[in-house]
Amino acid sequence: MTTLLQQIANGLVLGATIGLIALGYTMVYGIIQLINFAHGEVFMVGAFGGLAVYRWVLPEDIRDDWYISLPAMLVGGVIIAIVVAVLMERLAYRPLRNAPRLAPLITALGVSVALQEAVRLWFPDATSAQAFPRVFVDAQIDIGPIAISASQLLLIVVSIVLAVLLQLYISKSRMGRAMRATSMDRDTARLMGVNPDRVIVLTFVLGAALAGVAGVLYGSNINLIANDIGFQNGIFAFTAAVLGGIGSLRGAVIGAFIIGLIKTLGGQYLPGGTDYDYVWIFVVLILVLVFRPQGLFGEVERMRA
Amino acid sequence: MDEGTVRHAMRQRLNGYSGEGTFNVRNQTVKAAAVVAAGLLVLSACSTNKDEGAPAGGGETQSCDTSKGTLVLGVITPLSGELSALGLGIRNSADLAVKQANEKCTVEGYKLALQPEDDQRNPQVGAQAATKLASTPNVIGVVSTLNSNVSQSVQPILDQAGIVQISPANTNDTLTKGEDFLNNPKRPYKTYFRTCTVDSLQGPFAANYLVEKAGKKKIAIVTNGLTYGEGLANEFTKQAEAKGAQIVTRQKVGEKDTDFSGVIASIKPFAPDAVYWGGEYPQGGPLSKQLASAGLNVPVMGGDGIYDDKFISLGGKDSDLATSVGAPTEELPSAKAFVDAYDKGGFSDAFAAYGAFAYDAANAIIASVGKVVNGKEWSDSMREDLVKNVGEYSADGATGKVAFDEFGDSTNKVLTIYQVTGGKWESVETGEFEG
Amino acid sequence: MSKLSAWVPAALARPFTAVGGVLFLLAAMLPWATFLLNDGAYPEKATLQFFDAPFELTGFRWHLLLFGAAAIVITFVPLPGKARVLRALGWGGLIIGLVGAIFIASEGGGLGAITAADGNTALGSIVALLGGIVLVLGATATGIEDLPHWPTRLGSSPIQQRLTAYVVLIVAFAGVLWLVSATLTAGGIGGAAFPYAGPIFLAYLGFAGGLLAALHGVGLARWISQLSEEHRAFSIVVLLACACALPFTEAGSQYWMQVAATIGVYAATAIGLNIVVGLAGLLDLGYVAFLGIGAFVAANLSGAAASSLGWDLPFPLAALIAAVVAGIFGAIVGSPTLRVRGDYLAIVTLAFGEIFYRSSQNNIGDLTGGSNSIPGIPPVTMFGTPFNEPFTLFGTELPTGVLYYFLIVVIVAIIMAVFANLKNSRIGRAWIAVREDEDAARAMGIRTGQVKILAFLVGAMLAGLAGAVFVHKLGTASYSSFQFLESVTLLAAVILGGMGTIPGAVLGASLLFVLPEKLREFDDYRLLVFGLALVFIMRFRPQGLVPDRIRRAEFAGETAEGKPIEEVEEQVVLEHEQAEHEAPSAPKEGKA
Repeated sequence: MTTLLQQIANGLVLGATIGLIALGYTMVYGIIQLINFAHGEVFMVGAFGGLAVYRWVLPEDIRDDWYISLPAMLVGGVIIAIVVAVLMERLAYRPLRNAPRLAPLITALGVSVALQEAVRLWFPDATSAQAFPRVFVDAQIDIGPIAISASQLLLIVVSIVLAVLLQLYISKSRMGRAMRATSMDRDTARLMGVNPDRVIVLTFVLGAALAGVAGVLYGSNINLIANDIGFQNGIFAFTAAVLGGIGSLRGAVIGAFIIGLIKTLGGQYLPGGTDYDYVWIFVVLILVLVFRPQGLFGEVERMRA
Repeated sequence: MDEGTVRHAMRQRLNGYSGEGTFNVRNQTVKAAAVVAAGLLVLSACSTNKDEGAPAGGGETQSCDTSKGTLVLGVITPLSGELSALGLGIRNSADLAVKQANEKCTVEGYKLALQPEDDQRNPQVGAQAATKLASTPNVIGVVSTLNSNVSQSVQPILDQAGIVQISPANTNDTLTKGEDFLNNPKRPYKTYFRTCTVDSLQGPFAANYLVEKAGKKKIAIVTNGLTYGEGLANEFTKQAEAKGAQIVTRQKVGEKDTDFSGVIASIKPFAPDAVYWGGEYPQGGPLSKQLASAGLNVPVMGGDGIYDDKFISLGGKDSDLATSVGAPTEELPSAKAFVDAYDKGGFSDAFAAYGAFAYDAANAIIASVGKVVNGKEWSDSMREDLVKNVGEYSADGATGKVAFDEFGDSTNKVLTIYQVTGGKWESVETGEFEG
Repeated sequence: MSKLSAWVPAALARPFTAVGGVLFLLAAMLPWATFLLNDGAYPEKATLQFFDAPFELTGFRWHLLLFGAAAIVITFVPLPGKARVLRALGWGGLIIGLVGAIFIASEGGGLGAITAADGNTALGSIVALLGGIVLVLGATATGIEDLPHWPTRLGSSPIQQRLTAYVVLIVAFAGVLWLVSATLTAGGIGGAAFPYAGPIFLAYLGFAGGLLAALHGVGLARWISQLSEEHRAFSIVVLLACACALPFTEAGSQYWMQVAATIGVYAATAIGLNIVVGLAGLLDLGYVAFLGIGAFVAANLSGAAASSLGWDLPFPLAALIAAVVAGIFGAIVGSPTLRVRGDYLAIVTLAFGEIFYRSSQNNIGDLTGGSNSIPGIPPVTMFGTPFNEPFTLFGTELPTGVLYYFLIVVIVAIIMAVFANLKNSRIGRAWIAVREDEDAARAMGIRTGQVKILAFLVGAMLAGLAGAVFVHKLGTASYSSFQFLESVTLLAAVILGGMGTIPGAVLGASLLFVLPEKLREFDDYRLLVFGLALVFIMRFRPQGLVPDRIRRAEFAGETAEGKPIEEVEEQVVLEHEQAEHEAPSAPKEGKA
């Protein structure tokens, strides 16, 4: 029983990371119908950005005071993630806005590979995994029989809070209305006075900010980052977004927690053990796409070629 | 906008298709070009690295006869990726051996060159690198590999071409003695040798220490499924159980996993007092740290794969243990010359756990080539002779006495236990495994 | 390019091109580096000498000499497509100069290496650069004309026409053979013994590219392709003969044969992918899994000691089984596509690819060797000869690995034949219809579901076949050969080369697998360049190098004849306005 609860806790932690990334995927797909393969790399860049702040910006003596370095690293990671995402949108995706679907997809793949390599080549010593400091209280909290570290708890709390904030922003603010309008019908929105370019950039910015936070907190948890963490977590996040329903923020977060649970519980109880935990996630992805492409909370997809 | 304006604008645009370069644009770019040209001319007056360019190599080779050409010593190890710290140490040490040989004119009439190939700890890439070396002319031998599973792919390719291969780091027994190495040892490839010792000695040596000296009786084993880790864990298990310890569980993680929460949750119920890790440091370090975070603050013991400073920086904690092949390099008198020469060699990476072994391996090949060539012309048909000479090689090297038995294994069976103390590896015990 | 023509007035075109040619000649004679570089003398005697024996020039100097002489001659000789030829020569020489300049400067530690240092001058690379710029400017000054047309029926009687066509084709393909051989061997085998292979190869690419572009500019390339279209059967025979003749050329050493065979395997796979993506328009991001399935099946049937199955079947049978098993999986993967389209299809195939990768990493069913892979796969043995031994044909001893090369040539030929036949058959047309508009195709009575599954099946079979050869050649079947990045690379090869065409797929595969091999010094940057290249290609030439005519129209916003659509539209509108103006009484139709 303890193991079950522990694995549930582990699953929720994983889901928290993935949820933050999935929000970015779902928003971008909702607005420009692009699967931004490179979004996982934005997450990775955020993590490295935080590490860079820790290593070179923070002076040695206050570095380990988490209440200073954590916010600093978060800010650094988020800024770098946003910069990368905006550049990506501007240089790679915007020129292809009206191209046939294949082009932006391949471009996204190209950007993803290029970012991974750029970090590997130019972040000092990044050919191997980098140690990431635990910038939080190094405490262990025992909730009944399960042990969860403080930073894991932080991750869960932060991701839920951010998701709620995002949902409020999208539903209540003017810009949020503009985003929803653009995702429904870009030309009509333009006629209504919405500047689609601005809205799209904002979407990327928001997604990148969330991914940046996820990156820093992920690093703080696992204490290890490498230039390929983007790909894996990106695929999970996209699965979560699809499971929850592309375009639905609530769906992305819930889908992410479900995916996290599938990985940990599947790894524990399904045949094949932890070796095959990823496989179960992909199986879920295929099943969802084939039998219920609108996911849990999405609308029925209109036919798209 | 009236028709006329529209038409006019369109005509302009249409005509513009065949050349939008207007006078303004041309002027601007001409100016820019002039500035750039001027700048270039100014720059051209400065900086060359001619001093390095007057090749130091040129100076040396002038005193050696290198009229017959260049012979190539290959190296196949991970030069990028997680294990690059170990692989670069191997490459640099082989490079040092090559440089010294060129200075001493060991091979008459030829210059030696090092050709390092990156195998990225991946059997397929290793096989491609081996194929490349096997078809490159003038290759005399290859120092390879680091990982036992990569070696399995490299061995047949190099053996087919008759090229001698000496590994500084493969510890899996099957590579020299075949699948049934305990009861029916059969040497699969007569071109393969190694200067390090083997898991059938390393595993039990670790077990003796962990069970008898450190008194751990309930041990959990985690491996990453690779040839090295599995083999090592198997040997460890046999000896540990023979000494009365209980292996409470054995788990496997993926080669690239860094999140061990699942496997740790599976181990915790068994309450082990030590964990034996069959794998390398990129995963060993995080495993150790995550175990501690999850409440399992027990020592993690591993083999030579975790004996590197990066294990500690990636999460290894005090009281973690490792075995490694050979005596500590710093303590061996024969190693002093190597260490000094390496320091002076200006390499940016440390020689790491296997540098000394690679140095000895390279020297074994080079010395044998010197004997075989002996003023004659090198041809690939000399490879068979070369293999024979390597087999008979015997000398004092950086790791002690270097010689090979009839299976290609090193006759040097010394092992050392290291423990992380105060954030660094310290040697605890050195000896040979007596069985 | 059209913008450049405003830089130089048309009257100066001739002097410019002549001067450009002279500059090239000069650059060929001048020294290029002021001292010995770190690894030794830069090849082609590029250091410290003013070369005074023009006919003993080799390598890039020789190429520059040729280009320079050609430019001077062509300036004064009327030639169809003259401006294009001169522009091509200019760019080629420019690239040679640029590569030399950058490499020597960076190896030598500064611009002094290519200009003046310690009393030595070496302006060769700069002069070549200048010459290239001048030549290009001069060539474009008069504007670029359309590609010249050459008559395809030469001679009076049909027999004569056919014979002349055959002769031309033989010469042309022999030229291609020479070019391929030279490209493979250009720069030599990189490595410790020869550290300058990379830049020498790049400079050679400048030469080859310039030469090809010049020939294209004269109209030769289009003429040859038209001729080969008309005499298709013969061209295929000649092409096959030339491919088989490659081992007898300079590229016939063990090393190059092995490189060529690897390219062949990937080209075969790319053609298979071309069926799925290019013909049927089904985006497959997990295609390399089929290569892997074929590989592991063949590995288990090869009698390798490490394979758990331990069967040992003769290679043709094993390859056939591998193809069939892969085909079955292809159909399985294809079945969900009945309900999924576009982006989602891409993701489903990606998921399948990852499932394969993970499962093989975990040694599923003990069939894949897991992380330790299946090493020691014995070489193919047919007709009693193991394929990794030297082989004697027509009295010449051919090196190790030649047999693999022949095998792969045969397989690629078979696959090409299959592809061409399919493309022109009913099923091929059905695929193209599905690709263009699936709903319309279904409305026309095509069974789209079956057609799509068939595409996956056939594509997977071809990949499985290629996988069987791949694994025997490499000797190891490892899960790490089949990761997502390989799928992306294969897709990139198909797209870069041009979707829907065979030469496109082969060209794409060759580029993507020969360039890393030749440019090993830059290996570190390989993936970065690859990623950026994908972005650039999609931005600037999404239809690829050798595109299908329809694709070119679709992607490049051009009509099938190659004119930008906007231009044509505006022309039409202007004409309409014109007509309006002349007959204002006719009522407007209300159309723009």
